[in-house]
Amino acid sequence: MTTYDADGITLERVREYVWEIPREGDMRVPARVLASEELLDEISEDKTLQQLKNATHLPGVRNHAICMPDGHQGYGFPVGGVAGIDAEDGCISPGAIGYDINCGVRMMTTPLTYDDVRGREEELVDTLFANIPAGLGGGGVYEGSKADVEEILERGVEWALAEGFALPPDLDYCEDEGRRTDADPSRVSRKAKDRGRNQVGSLGSGNHFLEVQRVTDVYRDDVAREFGLEADRIVVLVHCGSRGLGHQVCTDYLREIEQTHAGMIDRLPDRELAAAPAGSQLAEDYYGAMCAAINFAWVNRQLVMHRAREVIAKLFDLDTGEMELLYDVAHNIGKKEVHEVDGEERELYVHRKGATRAFPAGRPELPAAYRDVGQPVIIPGSMGAGSYVLRGGANSMDVSFGSTAHGAGRLMSRTQAKQEFWGGDVRDDLRDHQQVYVKAESGATVAEEAPGVYKDVDEVVRVSDALGIGDRVARTFPVCNIKG
Amino acid sequence: MSYALRDHTADVAVEATGETLDSVFGAVADGMAAAMAESTPADGDRFSLAITAEGREQLLFDYLDELIYERDIRGVLPVENRATVSAPSESEGAADGGGLISQTPVTRVLDENPGSSAGDETVPRDIVPSRRSVTPGDSETYSGVPGGR
Repeated sequence: MTTYDADGITLERVREYVWEIPREGDMRVPARVLASEELLDEISEDKTLQQLKNATHLPGVRNHAICMPDGHQGYGFPVGGVAGIDAEDGCISPGAIGYDINCGVRMMTTPLTYDDVRGREEELVDTLFANIPAGLGGGGVYEGSKADVEEILERGVEWALAEGFALPPDLDYCEDEGRRTDADPSRVSRKAKDRGRNQVGSLGSGNHFLEVQRVTDVYRDDVAREFGLEADRIVVLVHCGSRGLGHQVCTDYLREIEQTHAGMIDRLPDRELAAAPAGSQLAEDYYGAMCAAINFAWVNRQLVMHRAREVIAKLFDLDTGEMELLYDVAHNIGKKEVHEVDGEERELYVHRKGATRAFPAGRPELPAAYRDVGQPVIIPGSMGAGSYVLRGGANSMDVSFGSTAHGAGRLMSRTQAKQEFWGGDVRDDLRDHQQVYVKAESGATVAEEAPGVYKDVDEVVRVSDALGIGDRVARTFPVCNIKG
Repeated sequence: MSYALRDHTADVAVEATGETLDSVFGAVADGMAAAMAESTPADGDRFSLAITAEGREQLLFDYLDELIYERDIRGVLPVENRATVSAPSESEGAADGGGLISQTPVTRVLDENPGSSAGDETVPRDIVPSRRSVTPGDSETYSGVPGGR
């Protein structure tokens, strides 16, 4: 048997790109890592594997706790981690979903080609930057009242449509048609709502961005055609989440779980895995609040995208209807889904933290337009590297609870990046050598997000494709990037 | 009392030291502000807040959480933080099982990033006019400019 030794943790090779940490001690199930040896070398550098092992201690965890090819250390639960936990006798763990609830990515197609945009990049990046709020703190496309926030939490993108921030097809191309019906805004604290109120339609900071991109490679012509992608086509990618509102929801419930279920937490190897037992009042409350935060994040991405759509329509004399949402995917999310466990269908809380749902063709959850080809999966890369569009692979339900990777993990910490790079140099280099135009609120953010601080996303996507959990469809390269 | 920003795979960590619990709390808060902004304007107003929690660790967590909340809703960046951490008095401790209180005057500074450009006047900033809808009677005001910056 081939094994891989990672500083005290031994992984057994199950088959190509599938590694298993066998059950021992209080582990309830084995853990699995989906990676090539090259990626495993990176994954084993920090506490990712220990955190993955710890996740198998959660009550009701089924099949395996799984690490995606881009996994890295997170808070308690690894980023790139997937756990399917029984919704009847298991638990739900806010830390295994993430602070930025429904952080995710969407892609909008345009009728433009790269030639239409060349020579106008500066104008485009400046206008997008002037019109799309970014950075820490307040200010969004929409500054709402308390009543607005309630509506957003309850109705999701339906609210945006009613308010003129969406076109009707935008709802069809979002998970759950942009509205999580399990949302319960009454379970979201006043503090969380206060923080959300002036951030509706804003990118925030960190690795969040809006990028105008051109399609450079197409790997599967038939699927790309269904997705409206072809070489040289201009697309827009939006990466952001639920801002302060989602963060506050996670914080509130972690604290409440800590106070209410201290005994359960004491039995877990890491208190940051704090979970509410399935069926408890807190589990219900958190799920309702988390689903409301999911709606908020969808509205956030919708407003940012729609603003970009209006900007591009005006600059390039287009009709807004010519720019369509390809798909919106979440990569920090918890959802009740039915999966096979020991030959039986079970309802699970599927926790995806830094992992993207990647349902294959035929799944009823997919919009009609994609039911025959599989769900679009969008994997953002760093500023100097490409992003990918995949489609849910045929093996994803068996291998990874219908999930794949979400992007590239960091190679260099934020502090180190700021020592190595100066934002102005990074910006000039990208413009002069790669024809990528960047505009940011803060030069430090550009340095923190410089090309080279992230791992190679190509290898992550190659492994996803080889495993058949997310198949490569197309690759894109940045033209303009705005960030916080 | 001092802090240092430390490497973290996905984020940034703050390490703080101090002679007393008070100064450690203040230093952690200062470190958090340093992780959020490169530099801050020299002036600002001080304000105070009080937090109660069931233990020391939880108190620090809730204290930082409150500072982030202030940042988001009022558009301020709390810096030069001074904390006073106290154990509950005997009678309070007996009544509710214990708690710690942090009374913290902090400097209020406008959350402006000096590194950001004020915007080029030729840029059509109002390409899509911002919409503002604040219910009459709402007492809160925000320092954020409609439209974002």
